[in-house]
Amino acid sequence: MSDRRDDFLVLENVKTHFDLGRDFLTRRSKGVVKAVDGISLTIKEGETLGLVGESGCGKSTLSRTIMQLIRPTSGKIWLEGKELSAISDRDIRDVRKNFQMIFQDPYASLNPRMTVLDTLSEAIRTRHPDSKGDDLLQRVSELLRTVGLNPAQMKRYPHEFSGGQRQRVAIARALAPEPKLIIADEPVSALDVSIQSQILNLLKRLKSEMGLTMIFVSHDLSVVRYISDRIAVMYLGRITELGNAETIVDDPLHIYTKALTSAIPVPDPRAEHSRKRVILQGDQPSPIDPPSGCNFWPRSPVEHDAQMKETVPEFVEVATGHWVSNCRFCVEPTAATSG
Amino acid sequence: MALLEVEDLATHFHTREGTVRAVDGVSFSIDKGETLGIVGESGSGKSVTCYSLMRLIPEPPGRIERGVARFDGQDLLQMSKSDLRHVRGDRISMIFQDPMTSLNPYLRISTQLIEAQQTHRDIDNKAALFKAIEGLEEVGIPDAANRVKSYPHEFSGGMRQRVMIAMALINEPDLLIADEPTTALDVTVQAQILDIIKQRQERLGTAVILVTHDLGVVAGNCDKVNVMYAGQIVESGSAEQVFYEAKHAYTRSLQKTIPSLQEKGQELYTIPGLPPDLTKPINGCAFHPRCPFPKTGAAETGRPTLKDVGDGHCFADCGYCDSSGSIEDVLAKGDTDDIQLPGEGVKA
Repeated sequence: MSDRRDDFLVLENVKTHFDLGRDFLTRRSKGVVKAVDGISLTIKEGETLGLVGESGCGKSTLSRTIMQLIRPTSGKIWLEGKELSAISDRDIRDVRKNFQMIFQDPYASLNPRMTVLDTLSEAIRTRHPDSKGDDLLQRVSELLRTVGLNPAQMKRYPHEFSGGQRQRVAIARALAPEPKLIIADEPVSALDVSIQSQILNLLKRLKSEMGLTMIFVSHDLSVVRYISDRIAVMYLGRITELGNAETIVDDPLHIYTKALTSAIPVPDPRAEHSRKRVILQGDQPSPIDPPSGCNFWPRSPVEHDAQMKETVPEFVEVATGHWVSNCRFCVEPTAATSG
Repeated sequence: MALLEVEDLATHFHTREGTVRAVDGVSFSIDKGETLGIVGESGSGKSVTCYSLMRLIPEPPGRIERGVARFDGQDLLQMSKSDLRHVRGDRISMIFQDPMTSLNPYLRISTQLIEAQQTHRDIDNKAALFKAIEGLEEVGIPDAANRVKSYPHEFSGGMRQRVMIAMALINEPDLLIADEPTTALDVTVQAQILDIIKQRQERLGTAVILVTHDLGVVAGNCDKVNVMYAGQIVESGSAEQVFYEAKHAYTRSLQKTIPSLQEKGQELYTIPGLPPDLTKPINGCAFHPRCPFPKTGAAETGRPTLKDVGDGHCFADCGYCDSSGSIEDVLAKGDTDDIQLPGEGVKA
């Protein structure tokens, strides 16, 4: 195990459960939401990992668990050899400057009563507590220029900016403590397509210029494919498939990944009318009482037998770096070649 | 004759900051059984167009300034409130983006589905309930006979949107206006919902206006497409014409920004700047300041009008949308720097 800890970020069988408490009258347990249910993952330095899945699959909970905003119920997380899950709540603030987060809604994630200067100064001081005066202004201007904003606008409040500009401020704030890891939770899904491409370009540029490691959470596979080196597909708190971005999108093995990729609308009428779709049945089940065994069986177009409904499929490496939850009904052995 | 013909529709909002010309001279038509897509970014006026047709614009501050919307021979914009009530929900119905806020949280689904029928038809409770259950089954809600008694909060987002569709279609309307019906949903559920709309449309011969910002959704579902920018249609035509033979610089730029169409290593094209402030008068092409094509000469007065370039394919030609030139050549020359200019795009 020691060699795994040498990697940049290591997750080992991480589980995050939410206890719903007991019913007031009957004292019966209301159940447990298994938002993240056993995830093991290794991320290399400088890599971008895309995390995709439908809403409710646990991708946001997982990113908040890595951030230690929610403590995992069990399992361990190492960042650069340091075990995050063992650090006390008091000390975690000190460590958190090494990993920062960008949220989906730039309207909600910035304090409306603080100017951009205040917001960024506060974040800069977590790394440089003594910075003030000209030095601080210098650093703020530098940050604003990095994200493509005009330093002359630093005295403005968030409501004076458009959505895309606010997201740039949020990115500047995440960069201010000079982190090594950035977790971006749906950073472009609240933005228009033309603005979306600006933010994607910015993130990609920052990543290569600053050598950042990034976890990019999104439900949009085409965006994730564009920005990520590897993609992990999540379903009901577990990873169903993990591999190179191109492999996952163009040559998926698991039927859920196939359904996801075939559901993305392609802006090309002829291709849209000719292609075949894997249409799933119904919605994702509730994570309170998730299906047992291969948790995908209630929605799969392929009927599962009793055994696969009971036993959790193994997560196996089918090709170099390409891992899949190996349920024999969801993964066809020939699928890899036939596409 | 077309089912709905809209001519020169203009809806303005009179606010303290000035008059916002949200929709400024929009004309289009839709035939029976046809699907018309309206695409554009937020603020381009696509939703306001639809709300104007249904006369759902809050007045004041909004006002329909001019225009005609002939639906089956009657002008929707001049109709009396009581006549309009007979059309809304019966012959034209609408699906909104957010199914949570468009269903009444206090009433059971059954009550709402029965009310929708009894407003327009003389039908008793039992028959209406039966039709409601049938409607829910058709949109793929399992165990509809029991679920019909549930409240909206007992459904998931996708299921709620199905209920909305069932409600919109329960009176078998001639025209369905769907305003971003799948934007709040997951892609897998989006595919299901679009499928349901398509099936029902084929069965009932309903015409559909599909409003979306997603070019992918338009490509797979629409016969005709209107591209809107700054309150006007800048390009319209069949889906194939708009996707494969796009003329207007805005349509072509928009296609260049979509990640799924790009090579992975390449930087995405970004349209510089922001859409224009609609409170100020626009001279010449509204896209002019962001246009990648080199321009010479003075700005025109007034905006360019739609010009037919053959087979119903129209675009607003300002003379500089060098329609023969390839956008790739132009982009290769100019740099696509995404750093914004000082003071640009700050909202008041």
